[in-house]
Amino acid sequence: MGTNVGDARIRVPDRIGRGEMITVNSIISHPMDTGFFRTKEGDPIPAYFITEVVVTYAGEQVARFEWTSGISRDPVVSFSLRADREGPLTMTWKDNKGAVYSQSVDIAFAAA
Amino acid sequence: MSQPDELPRRSFLQTVALATVALVGSGALIRPDRLLAFSPVQGPEDPDTPNEAVAKIYRERFGGRPITRGHVQLDMPAVAEDGRIVPVIIESDLPMTSERYVKGIHLIVDHNPDAHLAGFYLTPAIGRVSVTTRIKMKRTTWVRAIVETSTGELWADYTKVLVTLNGCG
Repeated sequence: MGTNVGDARIRVPDRIGRGEMITVNSIISHPMDTGFFRTKEGDPIPAYFITEVVVTYAGEQVARFEWTSGISRDPVVSFSLRADREGPLTMTWKDNKGAVYSQSVDIAFAAA
Repeated sequence: MSQPDELPRRSFLQTVALATVALVGSGALIRPDRLLAFSPVQGPEDPDTPNEAVAKIYRERFGGRPITRGHVQLDMPAVAEDGRIVPVIIESDLPMTSERYVKGIHLIVDHNPDAHLAGFYLTPAIGRVSVTTRIKMKRTTWVRAIVETSTGELWADYTKVLVTLNGCG
Protein backbone atom coordinates (compact mmCIF):
# COMPACT_ATOMS: atom_id res chain seq x y z
CA MET A 1 0.00 0.00 0.00
CA GLY A 2 1.44 3.33 -1.03
CA THR A 3 1.48 6.38 1.16
CA ASN A 4 0.21 8.92 -1.38
CA VAL A 5 -3.41 9.96 -1.22
CA GLY A 6 -5.27 8.04 -3.89
CA ASP A 7 -2.97 5.03 -4.05
CA ALA A 8 -5.36 2.14 -4.43
CA ARG A 9 -5.37 -1.60 -4.80
CA ILE A 10 -8.05 -4.08 -5.85
CA ARG A 11 -7.69 -7.78 -5.15
CA VAL A 12 -9.60 -10.63 -6.80
CA PRO A 13 -8.88 -14.39 -6.63
CA ASP A 14 -5.94 -15.64 -8.71
CA ARG A 15 -7.97 -18.29 -10.48
CA ILE A 16 -11.54 -17.47 -11.48
CA GLY A 17 -13.95 -19.86 -13.18
CA ARG A 18 -16.57 -18.55 -15.60
CA GLY A 19 -19.74 -17.67 -13.69
CA GLU A 20 -18.07 -17.97 -10.32
CA MET A 21 -19.14 -15.71 -7.46
CA ILE A 22 -16.02 -13.87 -6.33
CA THR A 23 -15.22 -11.39 -3.59
CA VAL A 24 -13.59 -8.13 -4.63
CA ASN A 25 -11.41 -6.49 -1.95
CA SER A 26 -10.26 -2.89 -2.27
CA ILE A 27 -8.31 -0.31 -0.31
CA ILE A 28 -7.42 3.30 -1.10
CA SER A 29 -5.11 5.63 0.77
CA HIS A 30 -7.09 8.68 1.93
CA PRO A 31 -7.22 10.66 5.22
CA MET A 32 -11.06 10.78 5.32
CA ASP A 33 -10.95 13.86 7.58
CA THR A 34 -14.31 14.65 9.15
CA GLY A 35 -13.69 18.37 9.64
CA PHE A 36 -14.32 18.02 13.38
CA PHE A 37 -10.70 17.57 14.48
CA ARG A 38 -7.98 20.16 15.09
CA THR A 39 -4.20 20.03 14.78
CA LYS A 40 -1.99 20.13 17.90
CA GLU A 41 -1.68 23.89 17.23
CA GLY A 42 -5.47 24.21 17.41
CA ASP A 43 -6.12 24.83 13.74
CA PRO A 44 -9.20 23.09 12.37
CA ILE A 45 -8.51 20.24 9.92
CA PRO A 46 -10.92 20.77 7.02
CA ALA A 47 -13.19 17.98 5.85
CA TYR A 48 -11.43 15.88 3.22
CA PHE A 49 -13.07 12.60 2.29
CA ILE A 50 -14.24 10.33 -0.53
CA THR A 51 -17.84 11.01 -1.50
CA GLU A 52 -18.45 8.48 -4.25
CA VAL A 53 -17.12 5.18 -5.60
CA VAL A 54 -18.16 3.83 -8.99
CA VAL A 55 -17.54 0.20 -9.98
CA THR A 56 -17.60 -0.83 -13.64
CA TYR A 57 -17.15 -4.37 -14.97
CA ALA A 58 -16.38 -4.93 -18.66
CA GLY A 59 -17.63 -1.43 -19.39
CA GLU A 60 -20.91 -1.69 -17.44
CA GLN A 61 -21.57 0.12 -14.16
CA VAL A 62 -22.38 -2.60 -11.62
CA ALA A 63 -22.29 -0.66 -8.33
CA ARG A 64 -22.02 2.82 -6.87
CA PHE A 65 -21.24 3.74 -3.29
CA GLU A 66 -22.19 7.02 -1.61
CA TRP A 67 -19.85 7.78 1.27
CA THR A 68 -19.44 10.36 4.03
CA SER A 69 -16.46 11.08 6.28
CA GLY A 70 -17.90 8.35 8.54
CA ILE A 71 -15.98 5.76 6.51
CA SER A 72 -12.64 5.05 8.24
CA ARG A 73 -9.28 6.44 7.08
CA ASP A 74 -7.76 4.51 4.16
CA PRO A 75 -11.17 3.09 3.17
CA VAL A 76 -11.56 -0.61 2.56
CA VAL A 77 -14.62 -2.03 0.90
CA SER A 78 -15.37 -5.59 -0.21
CA PHE A 79 -18.28 -6.80 -2.27
CA SER A 80 -19.40 -9.80 -4.31
CA LEU A 81 -19.32 -10.03 -8.10
CA ARG A 82 -20.63 -12.68 -10.46
CA ALA A 83 -17.67 -13.20 -12.81
CA ASP A 84 -19.61 -14.11 -15.96
CA ARG A 85 -17.44 -12.36 -18.55
CA GLU A 86 -13.84 -11.35 -19.08
CA GLY A 87 -12.87 -7.72 -18.93
CA PRO A 88 -11.55 -5.02 -16.65
CA LEU A 89 -13.03 -4.37 -13.22
CA THR A 90 -12.50 -0.67 -12.54
CA MET A 91 -13.12 1.31 -9.38
CA THR A 92 -13.17 5.11 -9.40
CA TRP A 93 -13.08 7.07 -6.16
CA LYS A 94 -14.02 10.78 -6.05
CA ASP A 95 -13.35 13.08 -3.09
CA ASN A 96 -14.92 16.33 -1.88
CA LYS A 97 -12.00 18.36 -3.30
CA GLY A 98 -12.77 17.12 -6.80
CA ALA A 99 -9.90 14.62 -7.11
CA VAL A 100 -10.61 11.38 -8.97
CA TYR A 101 -8.62 8.19 -8.40
CA SER A 102 -8.94 5.03 -10.45
CA GLN A 103 -7.68 1.46 -10.31
CA SER A 104 -8.38 -1.64 -12.43
CA VAL A 105 -7.84 -5.38 -12.40
CA ASP A 106 -8.50 -7.79 -15.25
CA ILE A 107 -11.08 -10.49 -14.75
CA ALA A 108 -9.82 -13.43 -16.84
CA PHE A 109 -10.92 -17.05 -16.59
CA ALA A 110 -8.54 -19.84 -15.69
CA ALA A 111 -7.96 -22.32 -18.53
CA ALA A 112 -10.29 -25.29 -18.19
CA MET B 1 -57.94 -48.37 45.95
CA SER B 2 -55.37 -45.61 45.83
CA GLN B 3 -53.13 -47.51 43.46
CA PRO B 4 -55.06 -46.97 40.17
CA ASP B 5 -55.20 -43.15 40.77
CA GLU B 6 -51.51 -42.84 41.49
CA LEU B 7 -50.24 -43.70 38.03
CA PRO B 8 -52.23 -41.19 35.94
CA ARG B 9 -51.44 -38.43 38.44
CA ARG B 10 -47.70 -39.06 38.29
CA SER B 11 -47.86 -39.27 34.54
CA PHE B 12 -49.63 -35.88 34.42
CA LEU B 13 -47.00 -34.23 36.61
CA GLN B 14 -44.23 -35.59 34.43
CA THR B 15 -45.94 -34.22 31.34
CA VAL B 16 -46.20 -30.76 32.89
CA ALA B 17 -42.55 -30.84 33.91
CA LEU B 18 -41.46 -31.84 30.42
CA ALA B 19 -43.62 -29.18 28.81
CA THR B 20 -42.06 -26.53 31.08
CA VAL B 21 -38.57 -27.66 30.14
CA ALA B 22 -39.53 -27.54 26.47
CA LEU B 23 -40.94 -24.00 26.81
CA VAL B 24 -37.87 -22.67 28.61
CA GLY B 25 -35.63 -24.48 26.15
CA SER B 26 -37.37 -22.98 23.15
CA GLY B 27 -36.87 -19.48 24.53
CA ALA B 28 -40.58 -18.76 24.69
CA LEU B 29 -40.30 -17.54 28.27
CA ILE B 30 -37.24 -15.39 27.66
CA ARG B 31 -39.02 -12.86 25.43
CA PRO B 32 -42.39 -12.25 27.08
CA ASP B 33 -42.70 -8.93 25.19
CA ARG B 34 -42.86 -10.87 21.92
CA LEU B 35 -45.84 -12.87 23.21
CA LEU B 36 -47.86 -9.71 23.85
CA ALA B 37 -48.54 -8.43 20.37
CA PHE B 38 -49.86 -5.08 21.57
CA SER B 39 -47.20 -4.43 24.16
CA PRO B 40 -45.47 -1.09 23.55
CA VAL B 41 -42.49 -2.24 25.61
CA GLN B 42 -39.34 -2.54 23.50
CA GLY B 43 -37.23 -5.63 23.90
CA PRO B 44 -33.45 -5.56 24.15
CA GLU B 45 -33.16 -6.50 20.46
CA ASP B 46 -35.38 -3.67 19.22
CA PRO B 47 -33.69 -0.47 18.07
CA ASP B 48 -34.46 2.86 19.70
CA THR B 49 -37.30 4.90 18.25
CA PRO B 50 -35.71 6.88 15.39
CA ASN B 51 -34.30 10.23 16.52
CA GLU B 52 -34.87 13.37 14.44
CA ALA B 53 -31.96 12.67 12.06
CA VAL B 54 -33.01 9.06 11.46
CA ALA B 55 -36.68 10.02 11.06
CA LYS B 56 -35.63 12.56 8.41
CA ILE B 57 -33.67 9.87 6.53
CA TYR B 58 -36.68 7.54 6.71
CA ARG B 59 -38.94 10.29 5.31
CA GLU B 60 -36.62 11.48 2.55
CA ARG B 61 -35.21 8.15 1.41
CA PHE B 62 -38.11 5.78 2.03
CA GLY B 63 -41.16 8.04 2.03
CA GLY B 64 -42.29 6.60 5.33
CA ARG B 65 -42.81 3.11 3.82
CA PRO B 66 -42.80 0.27 6.35
CA ILE B 67 -39.46 -1.38 7.11
CA THR B 68 -39.50 -5.03 8.14
CA ARG B 69 -36.79 -6.78 10.09
CA GLY B 70 -35.49 -9.79 8.16
CA HIS B 71 -33.55 -10.96 5.09
CA VAL B 72 -30.62 -8.78 6.18
CA GLN B 73 -27.72 -9.59 8.45
CA LEU B 74 -25.73 -6.74 9.98
CA ASP B 75 -22.61 -7.98 11.76
CA MET B 76 -20.61 -5.61 13.97
CA PRO B 77 -18.72 -6.02 17.24
CA ALA B 78 -20.90 -5.58 20.34
CA VAL B 79 -18.09 -3.48 21.84
CA ALA B 80 -15.90 -1.17 19.74
CA GLU B 81 -12.92 -0.01 21.77
CA ASP B 82 -11.74 2.34 19.02
CA GLY B 83 -14.56 4.28 17.35
CA ARG B 84 -12.23 5.25 14.49
CA ILE B 85 -12.23 1.77 12.99
CA VAL B 86 -15.31 -0.36 13.47
CA PRO B 87 -15.83 -3.28 11.08
CA VAL B 88 -19.19 -3.75 9.37
CA ILE B 89 -20.48 -6.76 7.42
CA ILE B 90 -23.84 -6.54 5.65
CA GLU B 91 -25.33 -9.56 3.92
CA SER B 92 -28.74 -10.46 2.55
CA ASP B 93 -30.36 -13.60 1.17
CA LEU B 94 -32.65 -11.55 -1.10
CA PRO B 95 -32.43 -12.50 -4.81
CA MET B 96 -30.24 -10.63 -7.29
CA THR B 97 -32.08 -11.30 -10.55
CA SER B 98 -33.09 -8.76 -13.18
CA GLU B 99 -36.75 -9.17 -12.09
CA ARG B 100 -36.07 -8.52 -8.42
CA TYR B 101 -32.83 -7.37 -6.83
CA VAL B 102 -31.39 -5.33 -4.00
CA LYS B 103 -30.83 -1.88 -5.43
CA GLY B 104 -29.55 -0.19 -2.28
CA ILE B 105 -28.13 -0.76 1.17
CA HIS B 106 -28.36 2.15 3.58
CA LEU B 107 -26.05 2.18 6.59
CA ILE B 108 -27.42 4.45 9.32
CA VAL B 109 -25.66 5.25 12.61
CA ASP B 110 -28.19 6.98 14.87
CA HIS B 111 -25.84 9.19 16.91
CA ASN B 112 -23.15 10.02 14.32
CA PRO B 113 -22.83 13.58 12.93
CA ASP B 114 -23.81 12.17 9.50
CA ALA B 115 -26.42 9.57 10.45
CA HIS B 116 -26.73 8.31 6.85
CA LEU B 117 -23.15 7.07 6.83
CA ALA B 118 -23.12 5.29 3.48
CA GLY B 119 -25.26 4.01 0.65
CA PHE B 120 -24.24 0.99 -1.45
CA TYR B 121 -26.19 0.86 -4.72
CA LEU B 122 -26.08 -2.47 -6.50
CA THR B 123 -27.22 -4.09 -9.76
CA PRO B 124 -28.08 -7.76 -10.53
CA ALA B 125 -24.56 -8.19 -12.00
CA ILE B 126 -23.24 -8.17 -8.43
CA GLY B 127 -24.96 -11.53 -7.93
CA ARG B 128 -25.00 -11.62 -4.14
CA VAL B 129 -25.50 -9.06 -1.38
CA SER B 130 -22.35 -9.01 0.73
CA VAL B 131 -20.60 -5.76 1.58
CA THR B 132 -17.92 -5.16 4.19
CA THR B 133 -16.20 -1.93 5.23
CA ARG B 134 -14.89 -0.06 8.30
CA ILE B 135 -16.62 2.95 9.82
CA LYS B 136 -16.23 5.64 12.46
CA MET B 137 -18.56 5.87 15.43
CA LYS B 138 -18.95 8.81 17.81
CA ARG B 139 -20.58 7.01 20.72
CA THR B 140 -22.67 4.05 21.78
CA THR B 141 -25.65 3.82 19.45
CA TRP B 142 -27.90 1.67 17.34
CA VAL B 143 -26.74 0.94 13.80
CA ARG B 144 -29.25 0.18 11.05
CA ALA B 145 -28.71 -1.65 7.75
CA ILE B 146 -31.74 -1.00 5.56
CA VAL B 147 -32.02 -2.79 2.24
CA GLU B 148 -34.28 -1.56 -0.57
CA THR B 149 -35.32 -3.91 -3.37
CA SER B 150 -36.09 -2.99 -6.98
CA THR B 151 -39.73 -3.76 -6.18
CA GLY B 152 -39.77 -1.22 -3.35
CA GLU B 153 -39.61 -3.53 -0.34
CA LEU B 154 -37.59 -2.40 2.67
CA TRP B 155 -35.83 -4.99 4.85
CA ALA B 156 -33.53 -4.31 7.79
CA ASP B 157 -31.31 -5.52 10.55
CA TYR B 158 -30.24 -3.56 13.62
CA THR B 159 -27.47 -3.87 16.16
CA LYS B 160 -26.33 -1.84 19.14
CA VAL B 161 -22.61 -1.08 19.38
CA LEU B 162 -20.97 0.09 22.59
CA VAL B 163 -18.27 2.64 21.72
CA THR B 164 -15.49 3.42 24.18
CA LEU B 165 -13.37 5.90 22.18
CA ASN B 166 -15.07 8.60 20.08
CA GLY B 167 -13.95 8.16 16.48
CA CYS B 168 -15.63 11.22 14.97
CA GLY B 169 -14.08 14.15 16.85
